[in-house]
Amino acid sequence: MNTVDFLNSREDLLSPGISACQGCMAELSLRVILKVLGEKTVLVVPPGCMAGAAVGGWNKSLGTKIPAAMPQLGNSASMLAGIKAAYDLVDPDVHCLAYAGDGGTADIGLQALSAAAERRDNIIYVCNDNEAYMNTGFQKSGTTPHGARTSTTPVGSVGRGKVNFKKDVPMMMAMQNTAYVATLTPAYMNDFVEKVQKAATIKDGLVYLHVLNPCPTGWGTKPENSIAYARAAVQSRYFLLYEYRNYEFTVSAPTKNIREPKDVTEFLQKQKRFAHLDEQDYEEVRRVVNSRWENLKKLAGL
Amino acid sequence: MTRIDALTGNECVAEAVRLCSPDIIAAYPITPQSVVVEVLASMKANGQLKSKIVDVESEHSSMSVVKGAAMLGKRVFTATAGQGLAYMYEPYFSMSTMRFPMVMTLACREMISPGTVWCGLQDALSVRDAGWMQIFCENNQEILDMVIQGYKIAENHDVLIPMNVCYDGFYLSHQTERVEIPDQEQVDAFLPPIDLPQYLDVNHPAIVDPNTVGSYLIRYREDHLKCMQTAKKVIREVNDEFAEKFGRNWGGLIGSYRLEDADYVLVTIGATTGAARVVVDAWREKGVKMGLLKIRAVRPFPEEEIAEALKGRKAYGVIDRSVCFGWNRGIIAMETFAALGKAGVCLPGLSFVGGLGGLDLRTEYVDKAAGMIVEAAKGAIPAGETFWMNEDFL
Amino acid sequence: MENEYRVVYGDSGLYVLDTASWRTFRPVIDETKCVNCGTCLLYCPVCAVKKVDGRIQIDLSYCKGCGICRTECPKQAIMWVKEEE
Repeated sequence: MNTVDFLNSREDLLSPGISACQGCMAELSLRVILKVLGEKTVLVVPPGCMAGAAVGGWNKSLGTKIPAAMPQLGNSASMLAGIKAAYDLVDPDVHCLAYAGDGGTADIGLQALSAAAERRDNIIYVCNDNEAYMNTGFQKSGTTPHGARTSTTPVGSVGRGKVNFKKDVPMMMAMQNTAYVATLTPAYMNDFVEKVQKAATIKDGLVYLHVLNPCPTGWGTKPENSIAYARAAVQSRYFLLYEYRNYEFTVSAPTKNIREPKDVTEFLQKQKRFAHLDEQDYEEVRRVVNSRWENLKKLAGL
Repeated sequence: MTRIDALTGNECVAEAVRLCSPDIIAAYPITPQSVVVEVLASMKANGQLKSKIVDVESEHSSMSVVKGAAMLGKRVFTATAGQGLAYMYEPYFSMSTMRFPMVMTLACREMISPGTVWCGLQDALSVRDAGWMQIFCENNQEILDMVIQGYKIAENHDVLIPMNVCYDGFYLSHQTERVEIPDQEQVDAFLPPIDLPQYLDVNHPAIVDPNTVGSYLIRYREDHLKCMQTAKKVIREVNDEFAEKFGRNWGGLIGSYRLEDADYVLVTIGATTGAARVVVDAWREKGVKMGLLKIRAVRPFPEEEIAEALKGRKAYGVIDRSVCFGWNRGIIAMETFAALGKAGVCLPGLSFVGGLGGLDLRTEYVDKAAGMIVEAAKGAIPAGETFWMNEDFL
Repeated sequence: MENEYRVVYGDSGLYVLDTASWRTFRPVIDETKCVNCGTCLLYCPVCAVKKVDGRIQIDLSYCKGCGICRTECPKQAIMWVKEEE
């Protein structure tokens, strides 16, 4: 079955009306992930865009058609590990899913996540990476890229956005031999769905899915261009699609099949958060993007 | 058959946990609690423990793991001390306000700074308003007994509040005492299996811990505080049932020694009570009617019992192993003052702060305090004064 | 539990916002151009696009009017119609 027919046949397990922004890719990614995993899933959604959009419930009503719980910002992985440990006594086939933002993953939640991966807790941890704390007004996170203007890395007479570079969480997770690591972005939906399907079959440890989700509100882009930015991120090799399992890296088709990569400006330009960058900054980004690609090629034996 | 053994306080915790057989245990070792985690791991390695152990990387995660498991209505356990409790504070508060029952033991430790790993009750008492029940133990047998009673009290449907069983780090955690260990059948007959719904259930979707408006939240708090008062009754009832079945009566919310006809009262908490018993006997030998009031429950605070116990006495003094910043007194002294004030019971009371950072609260210190209480009754020492049991005290 | 404000959980149904009211434009399929490829179905963040009997349909009940379907449509088969007052 092709991806269109497959997704069409699956039930949408989120509330149809949640308050995510127009063109929100975090909403799309979560809907697709839940469609793939199905209704035998328990969702943990820490403070962030999705919890704020009522996926984490409101008063006594639910934002999901599956059971859900809201942990604190830094303990998604550990609380889910407890849920999984208890669910193993009840029904080991239930998927235990965390959908946390990049702040809850790369910053405050990293320790708990790393420990759960080390313990090989069989949970599916998804990082919704929109490259800053978007729910609360675009504060910088560990995955905010170099040069990005955020509310805590403002641009002024001296400041030029974030000084340092994006923390590479999926690579960290791979380097500690997490059971399955994959990077995804909704522009490549076949690849996206296949990886989530594969995640559902992993039973020997933690699954870490790192999803780049363009955020029109935080990035300063038009809602209708969210998919286009996700595509440009891949085509410029700003965001690399790959999988890791059992000491093997596999570069995914959308990245592997790039014949002539687009320049990073294809992705950076027209985003308001990068509006102040000049050619020197672009060159710096190109250098990092190339290094990461060369590194991945070595790891994947390309 | 009851088994008699010589165990440390930490070992008593592990024995009691084994008997209560929680579904999930997650604990991170920290001085002076580490032996609890080691012994539980050893029991598991030797096939003596049914519980599943999740080996966590921090206290924040240990409480988070057990909170997750409690969402399926499971019985859970963790233990910590001092800095670990501080690090755990975020999920710790949420565990109680979610109203998930459990027992967590605390091998109480002084808070830094200056750097210390030694005894003090500052860790537990600093979080007395985080919604947990807190019971303080005097000896190792009491620790073992209170873990077992703790599950029964916490899991009572009219309570549903987690409990800290607290004991002085090193003084009890590392001290070996004679202990009676009940057998599994006895405990099973006393402590029924946990009976709570599976809140997170794929067959019946629900939202656990959603965002709420204040008009909802205030109702949760109201019920929590009401149930904390109900817990007083349940603690007494469970104490009485335990006394009947196991032959040991710890007194419920408070304990006492030679208090009936006492003119002067030493008010204590935790292991200090042992020294105070010796001092009470010594003063009785001298013909002075000294008595002892031991505070067992700090949350819920036994205000009625304390007012009743101190009413009509000549003077009292509270010995604290903690400080109440901003009040220049010990924490239990402040709580006792408040209880008496509310009840309209008026008598001279003194606050003694000692034993901090592992300092030994020797009988000489308690004896000197007893003498000062007698002086306070005569008006020779102003009521409400605070005395520091440092090296200049004697 | 005796008191509904005891253990913090709830099962009183779905919380649903009227997100359709956010729209300033709505997508309308130009049937003469649409080839029912389903690209819009893949990318709609609110899953408003369905395929029924092989034909693509847009359910406007919760469509926020983000315009991704229009941008991504390989046949330019989605018209952008202003919502009237």
